[in-house]
Amino acid sequence: MESVEEKTGSISAAQLRAEKRRRKLLLNSEDRMNRIVGSTKKEPDNSGASRRPTEPRFHLDLDRTEPWSLSSASQRPSPFLSEAPGATRSHTATPERRGSPLPDFSEPRRASLEGDLAGLRQRAKGERAGSDEVSGSPRRGFQQYLSRLDDAMKLRSQLASEKPAQEGGSDIEEFDPFRVFRLVGSILLAVFVRVFVCKYLSIFAPFLTLELAYMGLSKYFPKVEKKTKTTVLTAALLLSGIPAEVINRSMDTYRRMGDVFSDLCAYFFTFIISHEILLLFGSETP
Amino acid sequence: MAAGCAWFLVLGSVFLCNLMKILLPTISTFLSKMVQKDAEQESEMRTEIQQMKKEQSSISMMDEFARYARLERKINKTTDKLKTHVQSRTAQQAKMKWVVNIVFYILQAALMVSLIWKYYSDPVTVVPSKWIAPVERLVAFPTGVAGGVGITCWLVVCNKVITLGLSTIS
Repeated sequence: MESVEEKTGSISAAQLRAEKRRRKLLLNSEDRMNRIVGSTKKEPDNSGASRRPTEPRFHLDLDRTEPWSLSSASQRPSPFLSEAPGATRSHTATPERRGSPLPDFSEPRRASLEGDLAGLRQRAKGERAGSDEVSGSPRRGFQQYLSRLDDAMKLRSQLASEKPAQEGGSDIEEFDPFRVFRLVGSILLAVFVRVFVCKYLSIFAPFLTLELAYMGLSKYFPKVEKKTKTTVLTAALLLSGIPAEVINRSMDTYRRMGDVFSDLCAYFFTFIISHEILLLFGSETP
Repeated sequence: MAAGCAWFLVLGSVFLCNLMKILLPTISTFLSKMVQKDAEQESEMRTEIQQMKKEQSSISMMDEFARYARLERKINKTTDKLKTHVQSRTAQQAKMKWVVNIVFYILQAALMVSLIWKYYSDPVTVVPSKWIAPVERLVAFPTGVAGGVGITCWLVVCNKVITLGLSTIS
């Protein structure tokens, strides 16, 4: 019986030693990380400020009052990721998230990436909170770097997932019903204008009216979710700190302008062709 | 008559350029097939390897090891040779594709420049200037003829329309 107790005692002592060793190793890894990051963090005080590397640390973040931390670029919400898990915003509620130009990001990959990166960010944030008094700017730089890294990782995976699809159907424009309707309407209007209207009015006046009508009609057509292509421009804008929402809106405007330009080209082309055909058959002279 | 058909000439040129752009991969593949003389040799090697493999499968490794090993070595040798052939053919194909692309883009640029040169001061077609007001100057650029449709404007319009049309078809 005693031998059994001794045995359990020895096991628990061994476990204790193992736990001690594990903590020591963790502390060492923390030191190594600090060295890599280039932080000149002092040894933490023993009066309650000491932290273990395994503790959750974002609660310290909430107590932060330093002014630089509010205006820090690292506080910029990542265009692809919401803030750390402890933050108030959720994934779906984040406007940047909803307006992300990468809407069809593959879910499992995103989850795993977010897991990795959020963990890293959380750790860094906790560390920052602890060492703000000592060294602000290296931490801020690190945070900024992490935020950029998040974006870069997202873009990389997005580009990787998009690549096969783009290879399959490169340079082929998507034709949703509204687009076809617009083009057909422009062509018909051009013929009509050439036959009846152009003698009295500039040809661009009916076209502008038609475009206004299209703007009003667009809401009656089913909304087609267009796959936004992640271009080098998008990537560059994202990495230079412009929020995804702004980029997405700009891309949307750009697409609308492209649609109007396509309509105008179809309209003008049809007008000129009809004019030439009418001239050819000699029905009328300009 | 020639001046009257300027719009059609430009339209035809743009259409041909776009069509050629779509057909470029086919053209480069066809040309590389024409250039390569040893395609038959490659198919012969493939047949030979298949035959040898068939023969090897019919031999018992235990009973006729020497023959089996000799055949194995022969297969390996031919396979290596075939690999080298295929590699060189692929490299040649890539080179051909690159050359065809470069030649096409040079020809396209030359054609466009010559068209712009030719119709720099003459409009491709003329309509009454009040029809295209208030952008008649923009449409007429660089001719400066009131009511004229300039070559640049017409090139842009034709290119856009043909791209749209071809993408619809394809």
